[in-house]
Amino acid sequence: MDHQIDDPKLAFAYLRPACVLLTHEPTVGNVETLSTQLRHVNHGTLQQLQDYVLFPLRFILKIPGPKRDGLIQAVAEAMGYVLENTCVRSWETLRDLLSELCLCLCSPTDPGKPAPTSEELRAAVLRCLDALLHAAYGDVVFKLFEPIMLPGLGAAISLLLALGEQEKSRTVQAAALKCLQALTLQCDCSMDHVLVGQKERRILGSTMASFLPGITIAVSRVITGDMRHGHAVTVRAIKVWFKTVGLVMADDQLQNTGTGERQLWELGRVWELVVQRTQDWVRNTSGRLALLLKKIISCTSAHQHWRVRLEMVNFSDHLLANCSSSLGECVGPLLEALVGAVNDEEPTVRERCEAALREVAERHQSSDSNNQAFTDVLSENLHSLATSLPRLMRTSDDQRKVFVLNVFLGYLKILGPKVIVVLNSAAHLQRVSKALMQVLELDVMDVRIVEERSSAVTVETGPGPHGAHAQRKHFLYFTDERIFSLLKEICRVLGYYGNVYLLVDHFMDLYKESSVYRKQAAMVLNEVITGAAGIGVAGGQERQGVPSQEDLKAVVESIIEEYICLSHWHLPTLIGEESDRGEQEQQTQFSLFSISNGVEGKGNPLQLVQAVHKSSTIHELNSNIWQICIQLEGIGCFAQALGMDFRLILMTSLYPVLEKAGDETLMVSQAALDAMWDISQACGYASLKELINENSDYLLNDVSLNLQRLGVHPHAPRVLTVMFSHSDPSLLPLVGDIVQDVLLALDMSYDETSPLFCTVLHSLMKALARWFPSSVAGTSDALGTKKVWREQDQLNVRQFLLDYHKQKELAVGIGAEEEGTEHPELPPSMDCEEDMDGPDVKVELPAHITIAKDVMERCIHLLSDPSLRLRLKVLDVLELCVCVLSQKENELLPMAHRCWPALLLRLTADDPLAVLRAFRVLCTLGETCRDFLRKRVSKEVIPKLTAWLSKQAPVSARAGPVYSHTLAYKLQLAVLQGLGALCLHLDLGDSDMDAVTESCLPYLSCRQPPKLQEACLSVFLRLIEVDPDAFWLTLNELYCPCSYNPPHPDLQPVELSGMGLPRNEYTDNVLKLLEDFGLPEDTQPAGIQIQ
Amino acid sequence: MARPAPAPLYTLRGAGSPLNALHFGCCEGDPPLLFSGSGQGSVHVWNLTTRRAEKVLEGHSGASVTWLNTLHSRDTLISQGRDMRVCLWDLAEGRGDVTDALWTGSVGFCRCSLLETGPGRWLLAHAGEAMEEVKIIELPSKSPVCALIPQAKLGMVMCIKLWQPDSSPGPLLLAGYEDGSLALWDVSQRSVLSRAAAHPEPVMCLDFDPAGQRGISGSSEKSLASWMLDGQHRLQLQEPVALVNPGISQLCIRGDRKIVASAGWDHRVRVFGWKKLRPLAVLQHHTDIVLSLAFSDHQDPRNRMLAAGSKDQRISLWSIYNQGSSDTG
Repeated sequence: MDHQIDDPKLAFAYLRPACVLLTHEPTVGNVETLSTQLRHVNHGTLQQLQDYVLFPLRFILKIPGPKRDGLIQAVAEAMGYVLENTCVRSWETLRDLLSELCLCLCSPTDPGKPAPTSEELRAAVLRCLDALLHAAYGDVVFKLFEPIMLPGLGAAISLLLALGEQEKSRTVQAAALKCLQALTLQCDCSMDHVLVGQKERRILGSTMASFLPGITIAVSRVITGDMRHGHAVTVRAIKVWFKTVGLVMADDQLQNTGTGERQLWELGRVWELVVQRTQDWVRNTSGRLALLLKKIISCTSAHQHWRVRLEMVNFSDHLLANCSSSLGECVGPLLEALVGAVNDEEPTVRERCEAALREVAERHQSSDSNNQAFTDVLSENLHSLATSLPRLMRTSDDQRKVFVLNVFLGYLKILGPKVIVVLNSAAHLQRVSKALMQVLELDVMDVRIVEERSSAVTVETGPGPHGAHAQRKHFLYFTDERIFSLLKEICRVLGYYGNVYLLVDHFMDLYKESSVYRKQAAMVLNEVITGAAGIGVAGGQERQGVPSQEDLKAVVESIIEEYICLSHWHLPTLIGEESDRGEQEQQTQFSLFSISNGVEGKGNPLQLVQAVHKSSTIHELNSNIWQICIQLEGIGCFAQALGMDFRLILMTSLYPVLEKAGDETLMVSQAALDAMWDISQACGYASLKELINENSDYLLNDVSLNLQRLGVHPHAPRVLTVMFSHSDPSLLPLVGDIVQDVLLALDMSYDETSPLFCTVLHSLMKALARWFPSSVAGTSDALGTKKVWREQDQLNVRQFLLDYHKQKELAVGIGAEEEGTEHPELPPSMDCEEDMDGPDVKVELPAHITIAKDVMERCIHLLSDPSLRLRLKVLDVLELCVCVLSQKENELLPMAHRCWPALLLRLTADDPLAVLRAFRVLCTLGETCRDFLRKRVSKEVIPKLTAWLSKQAPVSARAGPVYSHTLAYKLQLAVLQGLGALCLHLDLGDSDMDAVTESCLPYLSCRQPPKLQEACLSVFLRLIEVDPDAFWLTLNELYCPCSYNPPHPDLQPVELSGMGLPRNEYTDNVLKLLEDFGLPEDTQPAGIQIQ
Repeated sequence: MARPAPAPLYTLRGAGSPLNALHFGCCEGDPPLLFSGSGQGSVHVWNLTTRRAEKVLEGHSGASVTWLNTLHSRDTLISQGRDMRVCLWDLAEGRGDVTDALWTGSVGFCRCSLLETGPGRWLLAHAGEAMEEVKIIELPSKSPVCALIPQAKLGMVMCIKLWQPDSSPGPLLLAGYEDGSLALWDVSQRSVLSRAAAHPEPVMCLDFDPAGQRGISGSSEKSLASWMLDGQHRLQLQEPVALVNPGISQLCIRGDRKIVASAGWDHRVRVFGWKKLRPLAVLQHHTDIVLSLAFSDHQDPRNRMLAAGSKDQRISLWSIYNQGSSDTG
């Protein structure tokens, strides 16, 4: 191979023996020898020896009689090698070789049918044939297409078709089809090809016209036939089809047909084979082709393999480019096929398709008359597609739906700027919009939507833009998310190319027209505006009349105005909103239960079901919720469309969005939060906090206005709540103003609106408590001291004795510095602060303190409100007020004093629910005011509480498992949980301690519910901190686990009433508590010893 | 007939002190502005498109700003403060500096009055050093034109209005005095043309409609006095308008002479028809005395607003009685 022979004489001498031998002995071995030798000859030299070398090979083929397949195959391979590397210059060689090779393939009886030869043989012959056709010189190859050759050509073609169609082997099939392609000089492989000029093309075309029916029918059978034969064959077949059709039906050939074609026809029967491409013929043929073509398109446009889809793009492109007038009725389907691929998932297909479409568009824009027709076809297609869209969306599968929508989108994209023209036709607009309305219909059956409640807790901290909550829309007619995004893109493209005013006007009419279309229309509007702003429209062309930012803003303003008008914005989303009061009452009660259960914000299905019949159906509520969500989404979209220009619209739109952010329905509030994130991003705010802070003036303006007309706009408190929960103290100066408004409005109408205002006050105080965290942290404090005490006790008995001595002296009356030593752990840091600015009385109070005071003042009044619900809320507010005020003891104590009588009433003579809350407030007060309350509590609260606890103890000891769901149980639990800390904070006197101990002891019993036991243990642990010795004794009186033997016989033995008792109901808990004292190592609990 | 009371179109917050003076500056093309003078000496420039303070000008060293106006279609702002100065501000191209100041010597509350006499020339009337004195100077030259001191004892001058009638060559000036009387001055003659005892209490404010030759004045009592000038420049008192609550801080006749608004000490702005002084609306929003009023001079009548500044530190904007506007009161 390295040294190829390039001297013809040398080569001749080299090859001669092999050739001669082959002529004499046609064996496979000899053929192979020759073909090995051939490879040592340089191509140029081989060209000169072509005839000589081919001779023995052809000779073998010509030998009459049956031949072995192996031999023929070897010959074909050898010939193939020669032909691949040389050219055929003589017509005779070409003609003869062609017929000889065909003979190898066909059956001896029928030249049009393949012989039953081996697969390898066929492949080799086909390869050889292919090489031959590629090797033929330009001046000889066209002779093939002279009328005289028609029969031979026909035989070859039908042979190839038969192979391509019926052959089992894919390679042979593909090879046959490729040969067919080469035979019509339409090959697209990488080798050199004969240049086909205009004239030759015409000859070629008119010759192939004779075979067109055969080729197209057979090949389309291949294409539409068995899908299993693999994409390579299909691709090849598609190529053959469109190349052939493109050749025969080429517009430029048919336009001036009949002039000077074939003058001398003395060919006899051959003449009958020649087809005259007359008008009639063209019409008939194109009719038949259209049938085939539609079949092909329907089979392949949604083909699994992307190469097939790619080939279909080429197919459509080629035919549209060459035969758009001769195949007039196919233009529609072809465009559809092309357009359907515009959003193909395979990028190669997409790119090719885009390029093709661009060409199509350009081609048709260059010539005006054509252009109109083209646009007509497109708009016609669009119209009919829009008509059938709803049906298709109902009936076909997802894959098909995606395809149909892709086609729809593709039409819009090709129409591009012409969309304006098309949509100017009322019929078209009507059709398109109706289709969208029907397709986008939402499924509003999901019950959870109504059910899910948002609680203020979840609203507070948004994790970031678009948390995991983004709710999926459920549509009636499809489920695939891709379909929805396609529909959205369709709307965006409409907005991008269409006339925004017209579209908005039209869809706004639909929106207003009936509630049936409202949600869909809003979805469409949202996307139309997004598209009009050029967002989310991929690869858009130039468009005419780009709407200016001003126009867009005006349009957006009008839409938002419609969205947020009372009747479209304040839709009932809660069951029984008409009977708001009662329902809320129920809900609060319910949420109260769930709070104590530790599960918050879950709806009660049972309750919902009960309420259904009395107001709107869940259906309607769901639909309302979705509508609000879509409108909120819309506002987010509009913000993104307008960018910074949306800032001005915030004046009107931010307030309604916040209104919804405070909505009780989870989905609505989530949608509103998402909208807020969109707005912040669009307007260049880094966070929701910034958004609210920067625009608090706009918000507060509406808030203060609406506070004055709560009858019409009852949601101002909600907005405030949301503002508080998202903002920070920098809001305070402006809010101070509003808080005065709120308080004023509250003072004006205590009876009707106080529940609403309480919500505001609650959120306000909660925000204040968050912004100005109080420095008091009672529990951790106590834990610290406990440790200290234990260590002391362990380490230092001597110190204890010294202390005891000192105490005794003091008790006798020596001490004056009592204060300094008694509570070394008690000076809280806040006292120092207080002292520092203490002397300056006139210093102005910080705004939050003033507000807290004002609010607390109102709470005092509201504490005696007849509505339980309100009282509970007020107690919550009160607790927060106390927390905020705890920073300024000077302000807190007088307020505590003032609210005491009202609070006491709640504690002693109210509904158990209120008692529960009130006790919590008392604990907080105890924590912050400490001994200020000691006397009052010990006189007015402790006796009642302890009496109640004692009374309740036997009840709970006897009760069954259901008891833990009763209010009494909850109250017991809360009291026991809080009592220890309260006693500690208030530093109660001994008699009170005794009362508390007495009342709590029964709860140490193991018969009590476990939680109560636990709570009771906590009481004792706290109390033990105060006076360990006393409690050690008390506990041992109850049950003493071990005997205390005096170390010396002189000492009195220790006698405790709990000693030697058998194990009883108190044993476990007492042991637990005593463990805390640290039992001596060697003493074993008596009870355990017994067992 | 009785529709619910209208709500303000917007409330401007954040001035931080009582609003003593308001003035609209609407200019074609640019966003309309509202200037407000506060009790702490700052002048806020509110952009009415964004409804936010665009700029805060400090030039009266903390003393209350009592009157504001613009020259050269709002390129120059003129402000009067109780630091006894009148300042001229250059506002063109976003600047905000005091370019000129004038010492008035007046410690009273009397607001100045400005009259354009020619392109780039104005007459400014202001209360003088002596209690009852009104001084008139020419701007921008600041050359004094005259000082008008009544011969009778009328007390401190409380309010003035300078205008150029068609009938007489020189401008006329109306002044209200502490003893409740009004005086009509001929500025060129420096003589009182007419006097009328309009109120038993000091005249707090007045406004005059030169085209209709009618005026209206308010005082601390429960009525408004209305009066007219006859052909001989004589003040003729007309039927007073009774009010529910006493005390008026400012009166303002709208440019189209259709309505007049009063800023009441009862926290309310009242609107009357100017022709017959029929009460039309009570604008209730503020929580303290309303101190100042201004009607917008916007090109588009629909955007002509009424602004009211109050001691409660807010400015309320109202869109009332302008054609085509949806929320007319």
